[in-house]
Amino acid sequence: MSAPANQSGWKAMFLRYEMLLFAVLVAEWLLFYYFGTSTNRRGVVVGFGTMDRQFDILRHSCEIGLLALALTPVIIAAGIDLSVGSLLGLCAILFGKLWFDGGLPIPVAAGLTLVIGALAGGLNAGLITVLRLPPLIVTLGTYSLFRGLAEAITHGAITYTDFPASFLFVGQERWLGLPVQAWLFALVAVAVWLLVHRTVFGRSFRAIGFSPEGARYAGLPVERRVALVYVLAGLISALAAIIYTARLGQAKADAGTGYELFAITAVVLGGTSIFGGKGSVTGTLLGVALIAVLKSGLATLPVVIRMNAAEEISGLLTGALLLVALTGSVLPKILSSLRGRRQAG
Amino acid sequence: MKRYFRELSVTAALGIVLLGLAVFAPAFFQPQPLLSLVTREAPTLIVACGMALVIICRQIDISVGSQFSVCSVCAGLLAVRGWPLPLVLGASVGLGALMGAINGWLVAGLRLPSIVVTLATMVTLRQGLNLVRQGEFVNLPDNVQWLGLSQSAGQWTLVLSSLAVLVVIALAMRHWSAGRQVYAVGTNAEAARLAGIPPQRVTFLVFVFLGALTGLAAIMNIAQSPQVQPLSGAGLELKVIAAVVVGGVAIAGGRGNLWGAFAGLLLLACVSPALTHLHIEAYWEKAIQGAIILLAVVADGVRQRRAGK
Repeated sequence: MSAPANQSGWKAMFLRYEMLLFAVLVAEWLLFYYFGTSTNRRGVVVGFGTMDRQFDILRHSCEIGLLALALTPVIIAAGIDLSVGSLLGLCAILFGKLWFDGGLPIPVAAGLTLVIGALAGGLNAGLITVLRLPPLIVTLGTYSLFRGLAEAITHGAITYTDFPASFLFVGQERWLGLPVQAWLFALVAVAVWLLVHRTVFGRSFRAIGFSPEGARYAGLPVERRVALVYVLAGLISALAAIIYTARLGQAKADAGTGYELFAITAVVLGGTSIFGGKGSVTGTLLGVALIAVLKSGLATLPVVIRMNAAEEISGLLTGALLLVALTGSVLPKILSSLRGRRQAG
Repeated sequence: MKRYFRELSVTAALGIVLLGLAVFAPAFFQPQPLLSLVTREAPTLIVACGMALVIICRQIDISVGSQFSVCSVCAGLLAVRGWPLPLVLGASVGLGALMGAINGWLVAGLRLPSIVVTLATMVTLRQGLNLVRQGEFVNLPDNVQWLGLSQSAGQWTLVLSSLAVLVVIALAMRHWSAGRQVYAVGTNAEAARLAGIPPQRVTFLVFVFLGALTGLAAIMNIAQSPQVQPLSGAGLELKVIAAVVVGGVAIAGGRGNLWGAFAGLLLLACVSPALTHLHIEAYWEKAIQGAIILLAVVADGVRQRRAGK
């Protein structure tokens, strides 16, 4: 183990990895541009190459991206949160219910939804830190609980719609040339970036992820920091729920189903170690962009349109991508251990 | 007595629920509906046996629901092609073992966290199946339903064979060295390695075993209906994990046994009829399942803290 000696070497490699991601992203975009764009009979350009599609990608990035931003500190601190997608659904329903049945003005309902999200994150945090339960089973339980509550509240059938135009503005219109939610997303991204890369908190997440016992001996309040990470994940998931509702103009119990996979894939693809201790917000953002382009781009390919299976293919490819990214992340370690064994033998 | 406190308390809870049903909903105990209920749970029991092993080994597999669907559909297609039932069974078990081997290789060979690996395989298998089949049902030939027997004979065969699988695995876990190795690896992989047990091989094999059992369960499931629904396994993973965890198998590995998992499964199977009687709607099922998982792990956590102090 000669890790501390070549700190700059690591950094250089990391920069290279993010450059690689960026190159892949550009290649992916060009591929979809080439194969996904066409001109219809009236001579209008349709498909991937349109500006509308680019905004669509940006809008998709916001929801997956918020969840991925929420998960980045969690995974850096060697945790996992499978409940973010379900919490998105629950928060969307509660937001709709507070506004429609509760008669609250939109800003108040949104504020309350954020509080509920933070409380739900607090439930995860409490079970994980106070009772010292493994995050995987706690968040698997809340994954089922949150989605189940959303289904129970709506009886699996009610959809909240007819939101006022001033609210739909957030999800469907543009401000200063970009979709409104992109500005919100950028704000959260900068905040999380500052938290992870420029504060003592971020440093402590890495210390905890690298070795919780070591962090405790170094005097870090491990439980409180871990709790913070999960509460933050709940809060950001609630924000994603509000943006999701504003984009679609409706709140349904199945909102955000399967989004945890997209978010975890984006984080792992972005170079954050699934074992904790290492990760970057910039990488996560690139991972999100890769997945959003994939998700949106697939729907423009003629082959996919003919098969009418955009959702299935994007899920399939994202799952495969996660497996490839995971394998890629441990490959150097395995190669070096193989080499070590050969030298020893 | 104290050693099996957790298993006994689940059994006691099961007894209380059954007693409550006997008093308030005696219709629950009519033999024919009860046999149907137990038969419906037989495939779940088989998967729960495999899941218990994986969790005792300190891993988890949330892809069993997708594996179950893939095996069901493939077995159905082979049966339609006119394959004899034993061959279909073999193919389904083999396919399950293959999918388990993929998970096992990623977890044991590459040392990746099982929760993330099986999340990826869960979605990949599910969406792959959706893509190929587009949600189409498979209409089965007549010789498959109830294994070609009469309905009640078929039901008894399924129930008794699932119980036989349970008994064999439970005894093996207690008395065979292979079973003890699973406990050893789940308790402390490094100590197991120093004691001469190959932890990676044991981990790999429990995943393969769970996959094979899932393939078997898929056959026991398609034998109960005239067609295969591709969504029949969706959510199975949560049901099975809930049963195992409620039955006292510790998620931190190395603790618990199959009798507990069996009691946990029966308890969960009775909860749903009990809820119907209490006029709680079916929409609550998922939420209640989540709450039960959380309650079970919280109970374990509290007990452990108390024991530690």
